[in-house]
Amino acid sequence: MMSGEEEENAAELKIGEEFLKAKCLMNCEVALILEHKYEQLQQMSDDPMNQVSQVFEKSLQYVKRFSRYKNPDAVRQVREILSRYQLAEFELCVLGNLCPETVEEAIAMVPSIKTKGRAHDDDAIERMLNDLSLIKKFE
Amino acid sequence: MFYLSLIEHTLRLPPHILHLPVDEAIKSELETLFLDKVIAKLGLCISVYDIRSIKGGFIFPGDGASTYTVEFRLIVFRPFIGEIIVAKLKESDASGLRLSLGFFDDIYIPAHLLPTPSRFEAIPHTRNQGRWIWDFGDAEEAQSEEPRFVIDGSDPIKFRVDSVIYPSIPLEQPENSKPFAPMVITGTINYDGLGPVSWWEEAEMIQEDE
Repeated sequence: MMSGEEEENAAELKIGEEFLKAKCLMNCEVALILEHKYEQLQQMSDDPMNQVSQVFEKSLQYVKRFSRYKNPDAVRQVREILSRYQLAEFELCVLGNLCPETVEEAIAMVPSIKTKGRAHDDDAIERMLNDLSLIKKFE
Repeated sequence: MFYLSLIEHTLRLPPHILHLPVDEAIKSELETLFLDKVIAKLGLCISVYDIRSIKGGFIFPGDGASTYTVEFRLIVFRPFIGEIIVAKLKESDASGLRLSLGFFDDIYIPAHLLPTPSRFEAIPHTRNQGRWIWDFGDAEEAQSEEPRFVIDGSDPIKFRVDSVIYPSIPLEQPENSKPFAPMVITGTINYDGLGPVSWWEEAEMIQEDE
């Protein structure tokens, strides 16, 4: 079904309601979840690879490859820190996935954070990015 | 983007798994039903995260199996318009690029959503295959033997989701047509920071003329 004029558009934060309410996961969180599940399967049977579907295996490969944070404590900290900045869940996850280094990059990746009326000035975004980069240093 | 979605579903446990404990049997049946399937507007189901409640266990008259109503959470992959995703090059031909995430590969970047100006350099003696080159910078450089901005699959490609469609299952498919794709992402790389990641690693070292 093709969407009409009111189609979801991340840049204007007009994303459909379900997106805002559903819980988004960053790649690094999905990596921890799938990795944990894989370990459970390993304990239960001799041949865990038999039990996992192709999509599970390929998804695990993808999220491990494109996660900036591997350590579970670091992953938790990323969400904690980003949660302080009044971001929509999906904005939090995109930032956590792509880890922009500059304010310009952050705005290019998630234009909705600069939408008029929202509380994010460049200083706040800069502080947020600094906090994130500190986590990477201690991973 | 990955989501944790809460789903309620009523299912029958087929007789051949009735020897398993109920929660295992249900988990197994949910995985068979959902994993690697696309549900329109929900996305591609990657894994069952947990089971929150199981109700029922009734056997309907004439049925050899029990029916349960299960509340559970699924990890799904569902792209949104404007999302920036990193993918690998799968195919490149005159109509554009096809990208893959490994677990999902119906991602297309049509020629008109490549950075402008771009040109296609066909590989001789192949059917329509070739590489795309972004003609950025001065003309001499772009026409040189080793143009700088080539898309050849050597590094991951960042793209922005332009649209997502969930086509309906066709009643008939002509022979030799491509396999049915239940979710198709169209992307663009015509913006700063998009395209092969190596293009932008170099950008920091070059002085912008603008």
